[in-house]
Amino acid sequence: MNKINHDQLLSLEHPFVKIPVEKFRSSLRTSQKHIEKEIAMLTDKVTEISKKSVQGSMDPKQVEAALEAIVTRLSTLKRKLKDTRADEALYSQRTKVRLQHLQEFTSISTLDSDDFARWSRTRLNRIVIDYMLRDGFRETAALLAKNEHIEDLVDIELFTQSTKVEQALMRQSCTECLQWCKENNSNLKKLKSTLEFSLREQEFIELVRERRPQEAIAYAKKYLTPWQETHMKEISHVMGLLAFQPDTKCFPYKRLYDKARWNDLIAQFRSNSFALQFFTPEPLLNVTLQAGLTALKTMMCYQHEHRNINCPVCDPETLGALAVDLPMSQHLNSSIVCRLSGQIMNEDNLPMALPNGYVYSYNALTEMASLNNGKITCPRTGAVFDISQMKKVFIS
Amino acid sequence: METFIKDYDKILKKQRALETNDPLDRLIAVVNEAKEKIQNGPESVNASLATLSKAIKTVSNGISEEQKELQSALTKYSKAIDKKFVADMMGTINPHAFDNKEKILRNTIAMHFIRQGNFEVGDAFAKEAGLTIPDAMRHQFVEMFDIHAALKENNLEPALLWATRHRSELEKRPSTLEFKLHRQRYLQLLQNKQTQEAIVYARKNFGYFGERHTQEILRLMGCIAYMDRIETSPYADLITPSFSDDIQHMFTRDFCSLIGLPCESPLYVSVTVGTQALPTINKMVAIMKAKKTEWSQQSELPVEINLTDNTKFHSIFACPVSKEQATEENPPMMMVCGHVICKESLVKLGRGNANQRFKCPYCPTESMISQAKNVFF
Repeated sequence: MNKINHDQLLSLEHPFVKIPVEKFRSSLRTSQKHIEKEIAMLTDKVTEISKKSVQGSMDPKQVEAALEAIVTRLSTLKRKLKDTRADEALYSQRTKVRLQHLQEFTSISTLDSDDFARWSRTRLNRIVIDYMLRDGFRETAALLAKNEHIEDLVDIELFTQSTKVEQALMRQSCTECLQWCKENNSNLKKLKSTLEFSLREQEFIELVRERRPQEAIAYAKKYLTPWQETHMKEISHVMGLLAFQPDTKCFPYKRLYDKARWNDLIAQFRSNSFALQFFTPEPLLNVTLQAGLTALKTMMCYQHEHRNINCPVCDPETLGALAVDLPMSQHLNSSIVCRLSGQIMNEDNLPMALPNGYVYSYNALTEMASLNNGKITCPRTGAVFDISQMKKVFIS
Repeated sequence: METFIKDYDKILKKQRALETNDPLDRLIAVVNEAKEKIQNGPESVNASLATLSKAIKTVSNGISEEQKELQSALTKYSKAIDKKFVADMMGTINPHAFDNKEKILRNTIAMHFIRQGNFEVGDAFAKEAGLTIPDAMRHQFVEMFDIHAALKENNLEPALLWATRHRSELEKRPSTLEFKLHRQRYLQLLQNKQTQEAIVYARKNFGYFGERHTQEILRLMGCIAYMDRIETSPYADLITPSFSDDIQHMFTRDFCSLIGLPCESPLYVSVTVGTQALPTINKMVAIMKAKKTEWSQQSELPVEINLTDNTKFHSIFACPVSKEQATEENPPMMMVCGHVICKESLVKLGRGNANQRFKCPYCPTESMISQAKNVFF
């Protein structure tokens, strides 16, 4: 029961390994593309120089100079690729660190070992940092990562760009996000993303809102019509705005004018950006927390007389409130918990009933009796009994 | 996992090789070489250029090959990750369950750090997220961690002061922390060979506990006679090293219980349980998806999730006859033999007749409904 099923628990860690590997792969691809292009250029240039030299239109001095120019060009590219190379080194190393972290986990065998507790705490820190980054609490996220020495286990810098884009959208500027779309054009196409079209629509809407119909029409001609194959209906809808005032009550137009559309854009950008970088669409904290609260939630959690202060769901102010809309776990087997000691009652620690029907564990009752001359006080009713009055209960 | 890491090491090796032997440097070297040759022998410029063309071809073929090899190894690896770590768990989440509850979640996170003793991060998060941590609670945890830190270094004084100050509340729990701390201090003195001081300490402090812990005190005094070879004496259990850990844990538990908070961070407990529960929920979701039902909309999961003993907080009684969970209307009833079943099952067995005899389903004893007794777990 307390043995760890490593494969099952590892299945959660897909983004943990996938993210740095994909970053590694994409920076590698960038530098390779540049180098391949450069090789093609180099071959052409040298062929050209050879030709001219043979024809005599270039003397050896000029050839030398031309070669020198090539070297300069190569060196420039090398400098330009420095950041990409640094990324390669960073993410290849980071992948390694993360794999080692997971390997550490596979060497832990039981759920109640200190090693497991330590590893789980690190995992919780990772999960919380991911949550903080998604919600824009960058400073705390960075502080926590630094204090716990887990910078390689979290993806702080991957949120830098997306935070900038989100802030721009909050300021109602599409420019940064459009730039981002351009940079990730091919991947967004693979996702069948309509983010760019939505941004174009928005810029058009803002022009109409500001009563600049001429510019709006020019904008539509330039930026909306290229989408006609897939978005004809949307284009005709949004063009319809030209006929309506921003305070219109007419439904589709009212919705297009709605400023809340900016929030939709942010959400759309986020989901695209997460998907491109292999982040989970919802924070892992929400996923694990929901699963955990569901597993812990019982009928008793919301009944005052059954409240257990150690139970997360029993606190109506915090996690109990979060668990309200979640289902409970099913129970086909009994497990009886002693209200005195919190221990599970089983063959090693039998459940014992007092004459009033209240059941506690053998260990807790005998300990209490040994401290009180053989007397037991039922904590729930205040009734006092002698230890000899307790009776074995059998739970099958 | 091991082979998985080894596979990655191979990729890493290729990458390092490419890094130390930069393709651009290689190209630069080739061009530079030709340039020098031409400088030294301008007359054979065409031959040198022809050599250069060939050299570029060789070098660039080598580069392309290395790059392609690394790229395809990495692509393969990335696909292997998808296989090894099953990705899709988003079906298991109800994206709206926490709607408009961000503040509650954030408060829980801030409290988590405070109660871990990580005040720096807790405060930073509260500030960044615009939350307020109640001062009183913060002070309590500062006190708790100060005392805990002292305990860790075997300094029992602050804990003893605290326990004595809260003696009556602790006794109500009932907690034996204060006595355990005195006991530990006494044993510390004995182990330091300060036998006289230990006896003085015992006289001064054990008196109050004389009645409740008679047996234990007798043993504690008795062990003095064996102090020089206690490890092999009947008193060896008194000096087990884990006792110091136990007392730290006991202190944290009692301290938290006194201020009405759980002894382990609820966020930690929930997330840890969640990671263990997710695989089961995942599997169930896959099955339910095939049947086109939505799990998060139901009030009860159609599967049982196994919890470890330390995360079971409530007694669950499932009737062994009907498999139903006990409720107020259908409470657990104990028959004369001590076996417990739910009321509805009991009534069925007794055919609704209070004095009808019937055999217990789990032992040979005969029972009657009228003899059965409501039990409370």
